[in-house]
Amino acid sequence: MIYVLLIFWITSAILAIQARKLIRIIVYLAIFSTISAVCFFMFGAPDVAMAEVAVSSFSTVFMIVCFEKYFTLVTDVSPDAPKDLKFRYKLSKILPPVVFTLILAGLFIYFIPEGTVNTYLKDLYLERFRFDVGGENAVTSIYLGFRVYDTLFEALMLLISVVGVAHMSCRSEHEISGENFSGVTKSDSVDVYTIRIICPAMLIFGMYLVLNGHVSAGGGFQGGIAIASFFICRYLIYNVYDVRYGKIMSFEKMTFAAIALLASLFIFLGFYVQFPQIRTAYLISMNMLIAMKVSFGFIIIFYRYIAFERR
Amino acid sequence: MMEIVGNIIIGIGLVFMAFGVLGLYKFKDFYLRLLVLAKIDTVGAITFMVGIIIRHGFSFFSLKVFLIMVLFLILNPLTAHIIARTAYLSIEGITQDQDDGRGGR
Amino acid sequence: MQVPVFWILLAFMFLYLIRAIQGPTIWDRLLAMSLISVKVIVLIIAIASFYNRGYLLDYALLYSLFGFISVIFIAFFILDRTRGKK
Repeated sequence: MIYVLLIFWITSAILAIQARKLIRIIVYLAIFSTISAVCFFMFGAPDVAMAEVAVSSFSTVFMIVCFEKYFTLVTDVSPDAPKDLKFRYKLSKILPPVVFTLILAGLFIYFIPEGTVNTYLKDLYLERFRFDVGGENAVTSIYLGFRVYDTLFEALMLLISVVGVAHMSCRSEHEISGENFSGVTKSDSVDVYTIRIICPAMLIFGMYLVLNGHVSAGGGFQGGIAIASFFICRYLIYNVYDVRYGKIMSFEKMTFAAIALLASLFIFLGFYVQFPQIRTAYLISMNMLIAMKVSFGFIIIFYRYIAFERR
Repeated sequence: MMEIVGNIIIGIGLVFMAFGVLGLYKFKDFYLRLLVLAKIDTVGAITFMVGIIIRHGFSFFSLKVFLIMVLFLILNPLTAHIIARTAYLSIEGITQDQDDGRGGR
Repeated sequence: MQVPVFWILLAFMFLYLIRAIQGPTIWDRLLAMSLISVKVIVLIIAIASFYNRGYLLDYALLYSLFGFISVIFIAFFILDRTRGKK
Protein backbone atom coordinates (compact mmCIF):
# COMPACT_ATOMS: atom_id res chain seq x y z
CA MET A 1 0.00 0.00 0.00
CA ILE A 2 2.83 2.36 0.84
CA TYR A 3 4.40 1.77 -2.57
CA VAL A 4 1.20 2.86 -4.31
CA LEU A 5 1.30 6.06 -2.26
CA LEU A 6 4.91 6.58 -3.30
CA ILE A 7 3.93 6.18 -6.95
CA PHE A 8 1.21 8.83 -6.48
CA TRP A 9 3.77 11.07 -4.83
CA ILE A 10 6.23 10.83 -7.73
CA THR A 11 3.41 11.26 -10.26
CA SER A 12 2.20 14.47 -8.68
CA ALA A 13 5.77 15.77 -8.44
CA ILE A 14 6.30 15.13 -12.16
CA LEU A 15 2.97 16.86 -12.90
CA ALA A 16 4.05 19.91 -10.92
CA ILE A 17 7.35 20.04 -12.77
CA GLN A 18 6.10 19.61 -16.32
CA ALA A 19 3.17 22.04 -16.12
CA ARG A 20 3.82 25.33 -17.90
CA LYS A 21 1.15 27.59 -16.47
CA LEU A 22 1.51 29.08 -13.03
CA ILE A 23 -2.07 28.41 -11.96
CA ARG A 24 -1.69 24.73 -12.84
CA ILE A 25 1.60 24.48 -10.99
CA ILE A 26 -0.08 25.76 -7.84
CA VAL A 27 -2.82 23.14 -7.92
CA TYR A 28 -0.41 20.32 -8.66
CA LEU A 29 1.87 21.56 -5.88
CA ALA A 30 -1.04 21.44 -3.45
CA ILE A 31 -1.77 17.83 -4.48
CA PHE A 32 1.92 17.02 -4.07
CA SER A 33 2.16 18.41 -0.57
CA THR A 34 -1.08 16.69 0.46
CA ILE A 35 0.20 13.28 -0.64
CA SER A 36 3.70 13.88 0.71
CA ALA A 37 2.35 14.52 4.20
CA VAL A 38 0.59 11.14 4.13
CA CYS A 39 3.80 9.49 2.97
CA PHE A 40 5.74 11.12 5.82
CA PHE A 41 3.46 9.81 8.48
CA MET A 42 3.22 6.36 6.92
CA PHE A 43 7.01 6.19 7.13
CA GLY A 44 6.90 7.01 10.83
CA ALA A 45 7.71 10.72 10.95
CA PRO A 46 4.56 12.25 12.48
CA ASP A 47 6.06 15.58 13.49
CA VAL A 48 7.49 16.18 10.04
CA ALA A 49 4.13 15.31 8.50
CA MET A 50 2.38 17.83 10.71
CA ALA A 51 4.90 20.53 9.78
CA GLU A 52 4.45 19.66 6.10
CA VAL A 53 0.67 20.04 6.33
CA ALA A 54 1.04 23.32 8.14
CA VAL A 55 3.69 24.81 5.87
CA SER A 56 2.32 23.63 2.54
CA SER A 57 -0.88 25.61 2.75
CA PHE A 58 1.04 28.83 3.43
CA SER A 59 4.23 28.32 1.50
CA THR A 60 2.30 27.83 -1.73
CA VAL A 61 0.59 31.18 -1.31
CA PHE A 62 3.82 32.95 -0.41
CA MET A 63 5.69 31.46 -3.34
CA ILE A 64 2.91 32.35 -5.74
CA VAL A 65 2.77 35.99 -4.78
CA CYS A 66 6.55 36.24 -4.71
CA PHE A 67 6.93 34.72 -8.19
CA GLU A 68 4.24 36.94 -9.59
CA LYS A 69 6.04 39.99 -8.32
CA TYR A 70 9.64 39.35 -9.15
CA PHE A 71 9.76 36.83 -11.94
CA THR A 72 7.83 35.83 -15.05
CA LEU A 73 8.09 32.40 -16.56
CA VAL A 74 9.42 32.54 -20.11
CA THR A 75 10.74 29.70 -22.23
CA ASP A 76 13.50 30.45 -24.67
CA VAL A 77 12.17 28.16 -27.43
CA SER A 78 10.03 30.07 -29.88
CA PRO A 79 6.89 28.10 -30.74
CA ASP A 80 7.24 28.41 -34.53
CA ALA A 81 10.73 26.93 -34.66
CA PRO A 82 11.16 23.82 -36.83
CA LYS A 83 10.32 20.60 -35.08
CA ASP A 84 13.69 18.97 -35.68
CA LEU A 85 15.56 21.84 -34.10
CA LYS A 86 13.16 21.83 -31.18
CA PHE A 87 13.72 18.13 -30.60
CA ARG A 88 17.48 18.45 -30.79
CA TYR A 89 17.39 21.41 -28.49
CA LYS A 90 15.32 19.46 -25.99
CA LEU A 91 17.64 16.46 -26.30
CA SER A 92 20.72 18.57 -25.71
CA LYS A 93 19.04 19.96 -22.63
CA ILE A 94 17.83 16.66 -21.24
CA LEU A 95 20.63 14.25 -22.11
CA PRO A 96 23.54 15.50 -19.98
CA PRO A 97 21.62 15.50 -16.68
CA VAL A 98 20.16 12.08 -17.45
CA VAL A 99 23.62 10.63 -18.17
CA PHE A 100 25.05 12.25 -15.07
CA THR A 101 22.21 10.93 -12.89
CA LEU A 102 22.58 7.42 -14.31
CA ILE A 103 26.32 7.43 -13.63
CA LEU A 104 25.72 8.63 -10.07
CA ALA A 105 23.02 6.02 -9.47
CA GLY A 106 25.31 3.30 -10.78
CA LEU A 107 28.08 4.44 -8.48
CA PHE A 108 25.79 4.52 -5.45
CA ILE A 109 24.35 1.10 -6.21
CA TYR A 110 27.78 -0.37 -6.82
CA PHE A 111 29.34 0.97 -3.65
CA ILE A 112 26.66 -0.04 -1.16
CA PRO A 113 28.31 -0.37 2.25
CA GLU A 114 28.30 -3.90 3.51
CA GLY A 115 27.22 -4.99 6.94
CA THR A 116 24.70 -3.35 9.24
CA VAL A 117 24.26 0.39 9.41
CA ASN A 118 25.67 2.05 12.48
CA THR A 119 22.73 3.30 14.57
CA TYR A 120 24.67 4.13 17.69
CA LEU A 121 23.40 7.69 18.05
CA LYS A 122 19.75 6.79 17.45
CA ASP A 123 19.89 3.99 20.03
CA LEU A 124 21.51 6.31 22.54
CA TYR A 125 18.85 8.99 22.05
CA LEU A 126 15.95 6.56 22.24
CA GLU A 127 17.38 4.91 25.33
CA ARG A 128 18.18 7.99 27.34
CA PHE A 129 15.81 10.80 26.36
CA ARG A 130 13.42 10.16 29.26
CA PHE A 131 16.16 10.46 31.85
CA ASP A 132 18.26 13.18 30.27
CA VAL A 133 15.62 15.61 29.01
CA GLY A 134 12.18 14.39 30.02
CA GLY A 135 8.87 14.37 28.21
CA GLU A 136 7.32 11.54 26.21
CA ASN A 137 8.00 12.69 22.65
CA ALA A 138 11.51 11.81 21.55
CA VAL A 139 11.51 14.45 18.81
CA THR A 140 10.77 17.25 21.27
CA SER A 141 13.47 16.11 23.66
CA ILE A 142 15.94 15.95 20.80
CA TYR A 143 15.27 19.43 19.46
CA LEU A 144 15.03 21.02 22.90
CA GLY A 145 17.67 18.98 24.71
CA PHE A 146 20.27 17.16 22.72
CA ARG A 147 20.26 19.40 19.66
CA VAL A 148 19.34 22.78 21.06
CA TYR A 149 21.95 24.48 18.88
CA ASP A 150 19.90 23.48 15.83
CA THR A 151 16.79 25.07 17.29
CA LEU A 152 18.63 28.30 18.03
CA PHE A 153 20.01 28.41 14.53
CA GLU A 154 16.59 27.77 12.95
CA ALA A 155 15.09 30.56 15.02
CA LEU A 156 17.87 32.85 13.83
CA MET A 157 17.20 31.81 10.22
CA LEU A 158 13.51 32.66 10.55
CA LEU A 159 14.39 36.02 12.10
CA ILE A 160 16.79 36.85 9.27
CA SER A 161 14.27 35.86 6.60
CA VAL A 162 11.56 37.99 8.20
CA VAL A 163 13.90 40.98 8.39
CA GLY A 164 14.90 40.41 4.76
CA VAL A 165 11.29 40.26 3.58
CA ALA A 166 10.47 43.41 5.51
CA HIS A 167 13.37 45.36 4.05
CA MET A 168 13.06 44.18 0.46
CA SER A 169 9.42 45.04 -0.12
CA CYS A 170 9.24 48.37 -1.83
CA ARG A 171 6.26 50.32 -0.50
CA SER A 172 6.47 52.08 2.81
CA GLU A 173 4.06 51.57 5.63
CA HIS A 174 2.88 55.16 5.50
CA GLU A 175 1.75 54.69 1.92
CA ILE A 176 -0.79 51.94 2.57
CA SER A 177 -2.27 52.96 5.91
CA GLY A 178 -6.04 53.13 5.78
CA GLU A 179 -6.20 51.61 2.33
CA ASN A 180 -8.78 48.94 1.61
CA PHE A 181 -7.41 45.77 0.09
CA SER A 182 -10.63 44.12 -0.88
CA GLY A 183 -9.93 43.90 -4.60
CA VAL A 184 -10.87 40.55 -6.04
CA THR A 185 -10.51 38.66 -2.80
CA LYS A 186 -13.69 40.15 -1.43
CA SER A 187 -15.40 37.52 0.63
CA ASP A 188 -19.16 37.18 0.59
CA SER A 189 -21.28 36.75 3.66
CA VAL A 190 -21.33 32.94 3.71
CA ASP A 191 -17.53 32.72 3.81
CA VAL A 192 -17.23 35.38 6.47
CA TYR A 193 -19.90 33.85 8.67
CA THR A 194 -18.39 30.37 8.57
CA ILE A 195 -14.81 31.53 8.99
CA ARG A 196 -15.94 33.42 12.07
CA ILE A 197 -17.26 30.17 13.47
CA ILE A 198 -14.12 28.12 12.84
CA CYS A 199 -11.57 30.79 13.81
CA PRO A 200 -11.64 29.99 17.55
CA ALA A 201 -11.25 26.31 16.69
CA MET A 202 -7.95 27.13 15.01
CA LEU A 203 -6.68 29.15 17.97
CA ILE A 204 -7.64 26.50 20.52
CA PHE A 205 -6.21 23.72 18.39
CA GLY A 206 -2.92 25.58 18.03
CA MET A 207 -2.71 26.06 21.78
CA TYR A 208 -3.44 22.38 22.27
CA LEU A 209 -0.61 21.47 19.90
CA VAL A 210 1.81 23.75 21.73
CA LEU A 211 0.93 22.65 25.25
CA ASN A 212 0.88 18.95 24.31
CA GLY A 213 4.09 19.13 22.30
CA HIS A 214 6.22 17.25 24.80
CA VAL A 215 3.70 14.42 25.21
CA SER A 216 2.36 13.67 21.75
CA ALA A 217 3.10 14.80 18.21
CA GLY A 218 3.13 18.53 17.63
CA GLY A 219 5.30 21.23 19.10
CA GLY A 220 6.21 24.84 18.82
CA PHE A 221 6.48 25.21 15.07
CA GLN A 222 3.23 23.45 14.14
CA GLY A 223 1.22 25.12 16.87
CA GLY A 224 2.73 28.47 15.96
CA ILE A 225 1.54 28.17 12.38
CA ALA A 226 -1.93 27.15 13.57
CA ILE A 227 -2.06 30.28 15.74
CA ALA A 228 -0.80 32.40 12.85
CA SER A 229 -3.57 31.02 10.65
CA PHE A 230 -6.07 32.48 13.12
CA PHE A 231 -4.71 35.95 12.40
CA ILE A 232 -4.58 35.25 8.68
CA CYS A 233 -8.27 34.37 8.74
CA ARG A 234 -8.78 37.76 10.27
CA TYR A 235 -7.58 39.22 6.98
CA LEU A 236 -10.14 37.14 5.12
CA ILE A 237 -12.92 38.44 7.34
CA TYR A 238 -12.18 42.17 7.46
CA ASN A 239 -10.10 42.70 4.30
CA VAL A 240 -8.12 45.54 5.85
CA TYR A 241 -4.53 46.03 6.83
CA ASP A 242 -4.50 47.40 10.34
CA VAL A 243 -1.76 45.38 11.98
CA ARG A 244 0.68 47.20 14.21
CA TYR A 245 3.62 46.20 12.14
CA GLY A 246 6.59 47.59 14.03
CA LYS A 247 5.33 46.30 17.35
CA ILE A 248 5.05 42.74 16.05
CA MET A 249 8.52 43.05 14.60
CA SER A 250 10.09 44.11 17.88
CA PHE A 251 8.08 41.45 19.74
CA GLU A 252 9.58 38.82 17.47
CA LYS A 253 13.11 39.99 18.17
CA MET A 254 12.40 39.97 21.90
CA THR A 255 11.08 36.42 21.68
CA PHE A 256 14.25 35.33 19.95
CA ALA A 257 16.28 36.86 22.74
CA ALA A 258 14.12 35.06 25.29
CA ILE A 259 14.62 31.73 23.50
CA ALA A 260 18.38 32.19 23.45
CA LEU A 261 18.43 33.25 27.10
CA LEU A 262 16.31 30.34 28.32
CA ALA A 263 18.23 27.75 26.33
CA SER A 264 21.60 29.03 27.48
CA LEU A 265 20.41 29.19 31.11
CA PHE A 266 19.13 25.66 31.14
CA ILE A 267 21.44 23.76 28.84
CA PHE A 268 24.77 25.55 28.92
CA LEU A 269 24.81 26.71 32.54
CA GLY A 270 23.68 23.33 33.80
CA PHE A 271 20.35 24.16 35.45
CA TYR A 272 19.13 20.99 33.87
CA VAL A 273 21.24 18.76 36.05
CA GLN A 274 20.65 20.76 39.20
CA PHE A 275 16.86 21.06 39.11
CA PRO A 276 15.33 17.96 37.51
CA GLN A 277 11.83 18.84 38.77
CA ILE A 278 11.37 21.83 36.44
CA ARG A 279 12.24 20.01 33.21
CA THR A 280 8.64 19.81 32.04
CA ALA A 281 8.21 23.52 32.72
CA TYR A 282 11.28 24.16 30.60
CA LEU A 283 9.91 22.11 27.69
CA ILE A 284 6.51 23.78 27.79
CA SER A 285 7.87 27.32 28.06
CA MET A 286 10.37 26.70 25.27
CA ASN A 287 7.58 25.38 23.04
CA MET A 288 5.43 28.40 23.84
CA LEU A 289 8.24 30.84 23.04
CA ILE A 290 8.96 29.08 19.73
CA ALA A 291 5.24 29.15 18.88
CA MET A 292 5.06 32.90 19.60
CA LYS A 293 8.10 33.57 17.46
CA VAL A 294 6.89 31.45 14.54
CA SER A 295 3.41 32.97 14.58
CA PHE A 296 4.77 36.54 14.69
CA GLY A 297 7.13 35.76 11.82
CA PHE A 298 4.40 34.23 9.70
CA ILE A 299 2.02 37.11 10.35
CA ILE A 300 4.69 39.58 9.25
CA ILE A 301 5.55 37.65 6.09
CA PHE A 302 1.88 37.15 5.19
CA TYR A 303 0.86 40.77 5.59
CA ARG A 304 3.97 41.98 3.78
CA TYR A 305 3.23 39.78 0.80
CA ILE A 306 -0.51 40.29 0.69
CA ALA A 307 -0.74 43.99 1.49
CA PHE A 308 2.58 45.53 0.54
CA GLU A 309 3.30 43.66 -2.67
CA ARG A 310 -0.16 44.07 -4.14
CA ARG A 311 -0.26 46.01 -7.34
CA MET B 1 -21.99 -7.10 17.24
CA MET B 2 -21.30 -3.36 17.23
CA GLU B 3 -18.20 -3.97 15.17
CA ILE B 4 -20.17 -5.73 12.44
CA VAL B 5 -22.73 -2.91 12.32
CA GLY B 6 -19.91 -0.37 12.15
CA ASN B 7 -18.22 -2.25 9.34
CA ILE B 8 -21.46 -2.35 7.36
CA ILE B 9 -21.92 1.42 7.77
CA ILE B 10 -18.29 2.02 6.71
CA GLY B 11 -19.04 -0.05 3.59
CA ILE B 12 -22.10 2.10 2.87
CA GLY B 13 -19.92 5.21 3.11
CA LEU B 14 -17.47 3.73 0.63
CA VAL B 15 -20.37 3.00 -1.73
CA PHE B 16 -21.43 6.67 -1.52
CA MET B 17 -17.89 7.75 -2.39
CA ALA B 18 -17.87 5.33 -5.32
CA PHE B 19 -21.04 7.00 -6.63
CA GLY B 20 -19.15 10.26 -6.38
CA VAL B 21 -16.33 8.91 -8.52
CA LEU B 22 -18.88 7.70 -11.07
CA GLY B 23 -20.43 11.15 -11.18
CA LEU B 24 -17.04 12.80 -11.56
CA TYR B 25 -16.58 10.94 -14.84
CA LYS B 26 -20.15 10.90 -16.09
CA PHE B 27 -21.08 14.57 -15.81
CA LYS B 28 -20.00 16.73 -18.70
CA ASP B 29 -20.26 20.15 -17.07
CA PHE B 30 -18.05 21.59 -14.37
CA TYR B 31 -20.88 22.83 -12.17
CA LEU B 32 -22.42 19.37 -12.22
CA ARG B 33 -19.13 17.86 -11.18
CA LEU B 34 -19.05 20.22 -8.24
CA LEU B 35 -22.01 18.28 -6.84
CA VAL B 36 -19.58 15.45 -6.07
CA LEU B 37 -17.64 17.56 -3.57
CA ALA B 38 -20.58 19.46 -2.15
CA LYS B 39 -23.02 16.67 -1.40
CA ILE B 40 -21.95 13.16 -2.27
CA ASP B 41 -18.45 13.21 -0.80
CA THR B 42 -19.63 14.96 2.36
CA VAL B 43 -22.30 12.33 2.86
CA GLY B 44 -19.80 9.54 2.19
CA ALA B 45 -17.20 10.84 4.62
CA ILE B 46 -19.78 11.48 7.33
CA THR B 47 -21.22 7.98 6.94
CA PHE B 48 -17.69 6.57 7.17
CA MET B 49 -17.05 8.49 10.40
CA VAL B 50 -20.39 7.40 11.88
CA GLY B 51 -19.36 3.82 11.20
CA ILE B 52 -16.05 4.35 12.99
CA ILE B 53 -17.82 5.95 15.97
CA ILE B 54 -20.13 2.92 16.20
CA ARG B 55 -17.10 0.60 15.96
CA HIS B 56 -15.37 2.26 18.90
CA GLY B 57 -18.31 2.87 21.15
CA PHE B 58 -18.44 5.79 23.57
CA SER B 59 -14.88 7.00 24.26
CA PHE B 60 -12.50 9.91 23.82
CA PHE B 61 -11.50 8.60 20.41
CA SER B 62 -15.06 8.77 19.11
CA LEU B 63 -15.47 12.25 20.60
CA LYS B 64 -12.53 13.45 18.51
CA VAL B 65 -13.95 11.77 15.41
CA PHE B 66 -17.25 13.51 16.14
CA LEU B 67 -15.44 16.85 16.30
CA ILE B 68 -13.83 16.18 12.92
CA MET B 69 -17.27 15.23 11.59
CA VAL B 70 -18.79 18.54 12.68
CA LEU B 71 -15.90 20.47 11.13
CA PHE B 72 -16.34 18.46 7.96
CA LEU B 73 -20.02 19.22 7.81
CA ILE B 74 -19.22 22.95 7.99
CA LEU B 75 -16.12 23.15 5.83
CA ASN B 76 -16.72 20.81 2.91
CA PRO B 77 -19.82 22.51 1.43
CA LEU B 78 -18.13 25.86 2.06
CA THR B 79 -15.14 24.76 0.00
CA ALA B 80 -17.48 23.77 -2.81
CA HIS B 81 -19.24 27.13 -2.48
CA ILE B 82 -15.97 29.05 -2.79
CA ILE B 83 -14.82 27.06 -5.82
CA ALA B 84 -18.21 27.56 -7.50
CA ARG B 85 -18.29 31.28 -6.77
CA THR B 86 -14.76 31.96 -8.00
CA ALA B 87 -15.36 29.82 -11.09
CA TYR B 88 -18.56 31.73 -11.83
CA LEU B 89 -16.87 35.11 -11.42
CA SER B 90 -14.10 34.15 -13.84
CA ILE B 91 -16.40 32.84 -16.52
CA GLU B 92 -13.89 33.33 -19.28
CA GLY B 93 -11.25 31.59 -17.23
CA ILE B 94 -13.19 28.36 -17.41
CA THR B 95 -12.77 27.95 -21.12
CA GLN B 96 -9.21 29.22 -21.46
CA ASP B 97 -7.13 26.45 -20.03
CA GLN B 98 -5.46 25.07 -23.14
CA ASP B 99 -1.76 24.51 -22.79
CA ASP B 100 -0.21 26.43 -25.65
CA GLY B 101 3.30 25.26 -24.79
CA ARG B 102 4.53 28.76 -24.25
CA GLY B 103 4.38 29.13 -20.51
CA GLY B 104 3.42 32.28 -18.74
CA ARG B 105 0.54 32.53 -16.40
CA MET C 1 -11.94 -5.41 6.71
CA GLN C 2 -8.84 -3.26 7.03
CA VAL C 3 -6.93 -3.92 3.85
CA PRO C 4 -9.86 -3.58 1.38
CA VAL C 5 -10.80 -0.18 2.83
CA PHE C 6 -7.28 1.15 2.27
CA TRP C 7 -7.13 -0.21 -1.24
CA ILE C 8 -10.54 1.21 -2.16
CA LEU C 9 -9.52 4.65 -0.85
CA LEU C 10 -6.27 4.48 -2.80
CA ALA C 11 -8.21 3.56 -5.95
CA PHE C 12 -10.44 6.61 -5.41
CA MET C 13 -7.34 8.79 -5.04
CA PHE C 14 -5.97 7.36 -8.28
CA LEU C 15 -9.18 8.17 -10.16
CA TYR C 16 -9.19 11.72 -8.78
CA LEU C 17 -5.59 12.09 -9.84
CA ILE C 18 -6.57 11.14 -13.39
CA ARG C 19 -9.30 13.78 -13.27
CA ALA C 20 -6.68 16.29 -12.10
CA ILE C 21 -4.48 15.39 -15.06
CA GLN C 22 -7.12 15.44 -17.81
CA GLY C 23 -9.54 17.96 -16.32
CA PRO C 24 -10.52 20.38 -19.05
CA THR C 25 -10.51 23.47 -16.82
CA ILE C 26 -8.37 24.66 -13.94
CA TRP C 27 -11.37 24.46 -11.62
CA ASP C 28 -11.62 20.73 -12.24
CA ARG C 29 -8.08 20.35 -11.02
CA LEU C 30 -8.86 22.36 -7.91
CA LEU C 31 -11.93 20.18 -7.36
CA ALA C 32 -9.81 17.04 -7.68
CA MET C 33 -7.31 18.48 -5.21
CA SER C 34 -9.95 19.12 -2.55
CA LEU C 35 -11.43 15.64 -3.16
CA ILE C 36 -7.97 14.11 -2.66
CA SER C 37 -7.56 15.98 0.62
CA VAL C 38 -10.96 14.65 1.78
CA LYS C 39 -9.82 11.12 0.95
CA VAL C 40 -6.58 11.70 2.85
CA ILE C 41 -8.53 12.73 5.95
CA VAL C 42 -10.71 9.63 5.69
CA LEU C 43 -7.61 7.46 5.20
CA ILE C 44 -5.97 8.90 8.32
CA ILE C 45 -9.11 8.27 10.38
CA ALA C 46 -9.28 4.71 9.07
CA ILE C 47 -5.64 4.05 10.00
CA ALA C 48 -6.12 5.58 13.45
CA SER C 49 -9.18 3.44 14.04
CA PHE C 50 -7.89 0.13 12.71
CA TYR C 51 -4.50 0.26 14.43
CA ASN C 52 -5.75 1.99 17.62
CA ARG C 53 -3.55 5.06 17.40
CA GLY C 54 -5.51 7.93 18.83
CA TYR C 55 -2.87 10.58 18.33
CA LEU C 56 -3.24 10.37 14.55
CA LEU C 57 -6.59 12.14 14.77
CA ASP C 58 -4.78 15.45 15.34
CA TYR C 59 -3.57 15.19 11.76
CA ALA C 60 -7.09 14.83 10.47
CA LEU C 61 -8.11 17.99 12.32
CA LEU C 62 -5.08 19.89 11.05
CA TYR C 63 -5.71 18.68 7.51
CA SER C 64 -9.34 19.73 7.51
CA LEU C 65 -8.49 23.22 8.79
CA PHE C 66 -5.44 23.96 6.67
CA GLY C 67 -6.74 22.34 3.51
CA PHE C 68 -9.72 24.69 3.72
CA ILE C 69 -7.50 27.78 4.01
CA SER C 70 -5.26 26.68 1.16
CA VAL C 71 -8.27 26.06 -1.10
CA ILE C 72 -9.57 29.57 -0.32
CA PHE C 73 -6.26 31.22 -1.17
CA ILE C 74 -5.63 29.19 -4.32
CA ALA C 75 -9.16 29.86 -5.60
CA PHE C 76 -8.88 33.61 -5.02
CA PHE C 77 -5.46 33.67 -6.63
CA ILE C 78 -6.64 31.81 -9.74
CA LEU C 79 -9.62 34.14 -9.97
CA ASP C 80 -7.25 37.10 -9.82
CA ARG C 81 -5.08 35.76 -12.63
CA THR C 82 -7.83 34.62 -14.99
CA ARG C 83 -9.59 37.93 -14.64
CA GLY C 84 -6.55 40.08 -15.25
CA LYS C 85 -5.67 38.06 -18.33
CA LYS C 86 -8.33 39.23 -20.80
